[in-house]
Amino acid sequence: MLGYVSWRDVLKKLTLAVTMQRPVSSLPLSPGMKLKLVGAGFQSTADLILLKPLQLSKETGLSQQEALEVLQAVRKDGGGGEGSTSLTALELLQKEEETRSIITFSSQLDAALGGGLPVGKTTEICGAPGVGKTQLCLQLAVDVQVPQCFGGVGGQVIYIDTEGSFLLQRVIDVATAAVRHCSLLVEDDEQRAAMMTFTMETILSNIFLVRCHDYVELLAELHLLPDFLSDHPRTRLLVIDSVAFPFRRFDDLSQRTRLLQGLAQQLVAMATRHQVAVVITNQMTTRLQGNQSQLVPALGEGWGHAPTIRLLLQWAGSRRLASIFKSPGNVDATVQYRITSDGFRDADQSEQPQRKRPRTQTDQSASSQPDRRLLRCLSDV
Amino acid sequence: MATRILRRTGVSNEICERLKRREIESCKDLLSLTPVEVMNAAGLSYEKASVLLQSVSKAIAPPFTTALELWKQHSDSCFSTSLPALDKLLRGGLPRGTITEVTGPSGCGKTQMCLMLSVLATLPKSEGGLDSSVIYIDTESAFSAERLVEIARSRFPGYFSSKERVLQMAARVHLFRELTCQDVLNRLERLEEDIISTGAGLIILDSVASVVRKEFDTTLPGNLIHRSNLLSHEATTLKYLAHQFNIPVVLTNQITTHVGDQGSAVSAEVDSSFVTAALGNTWSHSVNTRLIVQYVDAHQRQILIAKSPVAPFAVLNYTIQKQGICIDGNDSQEILYEGTDPGLQPIRVRTEFNYNLN
Repeated sequence: MLGYVSWRDVLKKLTLAVTMQRPVSSLPLSPGMKLKLVGAGFQSTADLILLKPLQLSKETGLSQQEALEVLQAVRKDGGGGEGSTSLTALELLQKEEETRSIITFSSQLDAALGGGLPVGKTTEICGAPGVGKTQLCLQLAVDVQVPQCFGGVGGQVIYIDTEGSFLLQRVIDVATAAVRHCSLLVEDDEQRAAMMTFTMETILSNIFLVRCHDYVELLAELHLLPDFLSDHPRTRLLVIDSVAFPFRRFDDLSQRTRLLQGLAQQLVAMATRHQVAVVITNQMTTRLQGNQSQLVPALGEGWGHAPTIRLLLQWAGSRRLASIFKSPGNVDATVQYRITSDGFRDADQSEQPQRKRPRTQTDQSASSQPDRRLLRCLSDV
Repeated sequence: MATRILRRTGVSNEICERLKRREIESCKDLLSLTPVEVMNAAGLSYEKASVLLQSVSKAIAPPFTTALELWKQHSDSCFSTSLPALDKLLRGGLPRGTITEVTGPSGCGKTQMCLMLSVLATLPKSEGGLDSSVIYIDTESAFSAERLVEIARSRFPGYFSSKERVLQMAARVHLFRELTCQDVLNRLERLEEDIISTGAGLIILDSVASVVRKEFDTTLPGNLIHRSNLLSHEATTLKYLAHQFNIPVVLTNQITTHVGDQGSAVSAEVDSSFVTAALGNTWSHSVNTRLIVQYVDAHQRQILIAKSPVAPFAVLNYTIQKQGICIDGNDSQEILYEGTDPGLQPIRVRTEFNYNLN
């Protein structure tokens, strides 16, 4: 006769038993310590949960300090009980509506993207040489700084240049044109005051630039970025132009794949945790299939899974087309754009006016729908 | 930077020893590992491994600057080509710290352009030059010292009036003849020392294509990738040197026939092949600026700005004369808002040959 045991106690013990069944080898401890634990017969965290440090250290030969570290790791892991917080889709919906997008100054492309490049997600821009990848990045680096009362994000930008394509003269042109464009739209005092802080000099001062010469410098820089982003909370855009160039000549392709996976994970983590839009440019490579050669995005098939949104910029004769070929929230679409002395713009003669009032609740829900009238598939990707 | 030894970045001796046993000695070796691999190799917990990665990253990561600081520092960021129409389109000239490629059919003026730029680089700043030496890597044995002197004397008669000045200019052009791919690579690896010892302000490589095409037959399997790797290596080294020393790099390239798609539905009579820049698509990505020279007729030639971060697609007419390249007039056909794929732009080759029969 065991005495009365309530079903609640049984359930609790069962849940404890289930959550505590984690093997020792998966704990974030140094390999030496794990070896000693396993050698002393401790296979899972369930074995460790009720021990005290002194007893553990005697049984395993670990020092008292190490034994304490082990028990803290175990407790943090199983005893926490809460697990990761979960969100409901409704909470996410509200969050997404508040999240702003970075406009590209090409209203057709913005419409196809549902407002622009989303903050908090990673976007890849791939394309043939000379088609405008760097031009779009420079445009975004200026656009992210457009003040909020003009419908922009009002943020700073980190620009990692691996190719040497960041030419100051061009940035100055694009910035000057953006300032001119916004100053023509000023309607009230708030916007007039905002224009004081939106000048060519302030735009240049908000672009943090770093030049990486090879993939090791790029990886090192990415390790340091989370701290930089915490120190500069106004950053809303991270540009890496390009991620392909440092990885083009790699002898060990499996190592390259591993490194790219790690890099992709870091970028996604930074995008969500620090609420920045991550934009990476990729090059094209020739793939031979029998007699035919085809241009495909570089860095391999596996890389395609990493970015949330993929844009392909391509030539059609002497015209430039932008196609969205991966986007969870929008339909695949192709628009024509051009590069002018002012930057990245629509292909139409008349420039579309940007929205004049700050975004209200109703505006946001309207603009988050892709404008289906503009979906023209001009060519197959 | 990436080959910096771990021991010198402040990592403790004990950890260095453990890593050395796994053949991890430089920062590059360590940063090429995933965090779990670092944990195993160094015998550290996850948190301590992250701290190790952070400190090593700090040691080799390049520093941040802002675009504003860049603006304030570099007042002269371009190398003027002494061709006003071209300079205007390029917003000052060939940008420093980048690679400019001149490509086109043989005899069109690529080497002439290189010789002219060499003369310009040696001129003092008051005359529009860089007042520096030139490193000229010649792979085709096309360099002609006599032509260099002729260009100097004809283009700047006032400045090069005395023989002494001409000799001084010639002494500042350092010529390296490299005839195989490996030689070129070795030269580029050692170029840092040459740049410092000669005080070079311009690097010219004439041409990139000739050695590569001699040694790599791209119809053989595997050669295409091998060639791409070699070219990417060259491009990376040159960009690094260009950026570190803030100097322009000029390369020349050749042309190739781009064959149209086989098995297409187009009838066999329509020839869809055309002449375009050599070395392929990856190389087109690697250069920052691409200038294409092509023929119009026996005398008249054109420069096209096919790829440029600052200039739109434009066409300029020029001829080659005693003083080098001469651009006709000030009218450039700027085809605004159109562009071209710099890897697929068709290039006109020479179709007439004039014979002077006296």
